[in-house]
Amino acid sequence: MSDDDFLALVKSYEGRPCGPPQRAADPVNQPMIRHWVEAMGDENPIYLDPEAAAASVHGQIVAPPTMMQAWGMRGLQASLNPPAREDRTPMDELTALLNEAGFSSVVATNCEQRYDRYLHLGDHLVSQTSIESVSEEKKTALGAGHFVTTRVDYATTEGEHVGSMTFRILKFKPPRSTP
Amino acid sequence: MSAAGAATSPIRAGRIALADRLPELAIPITRTLIVAGAIASRDYQDVHHNAVLAVQRGSKDIFMNILTTNGLVGRYVTDWAGPDAIITRVAIRLGAPNYPDDTMVFSGEVTGAEKRDGRDHLTVAVRGANSLGDHVVGTVELNVPTC
Repeated sequence: MSDDDFLALVKSYEGRPCGPPQRAADPVNQPMIRHWVEAMGDENPIYLDPEAAAASVHGQIVAPPTMMQAWGMRGLQASLNPPAREDRTPMDELTALLNEAGFSSVVATNCEQRYDRYLHLGDHLVSQTSIESVSEEKKTALGAGHFVTTRVDYATTEGEHVGSMTFRILKFKPPRSTP
Repeated sequence: MSAAGAATSPIRAGRIALADRLPELAIPITRTLIVAGAIASRDYQDVHHNAVLAVQRGSKDIFMNILTTNGLVGRYVTDWAGPDAIITRVAIRLGAPNYPDDTMVFSGEVTGAEKRDGRDHLTVAVRGANSLGDHVVGTVELNVPTC
């Protein structure tokens, strides 16, 4: 396949939804919030202390807003076991195409999150992701690669839109490592 | 950016002005932080916990994932702004990776402030720099009680 054909192929994924809406494995919950704030060293009491949260503008325990993306992450087993070919989403297909062309490493480069409101215990998120853009091949400090930008909209299972995210990764050819 | 003019933490309503600087915050980048942040964010990409595979993939070592960077940026701003702050937007761009045994120092400056609906709506420019350069540069929008 020529470089032009390859670029046309990966660009054909622009604008496509990454499969059906994804329901988070679990609703917003205190244990996952606790793991997060302990890791971050975040001592804001609105995340763990019911009384302090009730006395704040939030009125109740809330999740850290920057945790929004974490609720929808697929988890360990799905990370270890890529989906069968027939179950692949357009994003899985695009990732496989880039991997097969040698752009096998990935690094996140940009993230913009917008929050309509903070999430409460029990909110159950549903995310809808679409592929916004695939760049031409760029030379970067890490190696040659393609930037892939996705847009994610987050809603509750009741259908209330609660936030959105624009996320950009670089799929790049790793420099040859010496053993 | 120095810590000169640093506000006490958390800020009190009505004391914020354009060009106010947030107190600096130094975050030791340990393996434990990188792995704990990756797992707390359900990010099992091997480059965030497996040094051998990270090197095979062209990295110097394991490195912090972007979800942890987001979490730390949010924490940095609310450490200063307090529990009555409401963050509405976080936009970040990553540069130099956060590898283990480094230190990232956050600095920030108020670049926008307007009163609306009884709250002060602020824009804060945030920078997190390690020994390699800027790990993260970003913008946080939030609102806090006005007086």
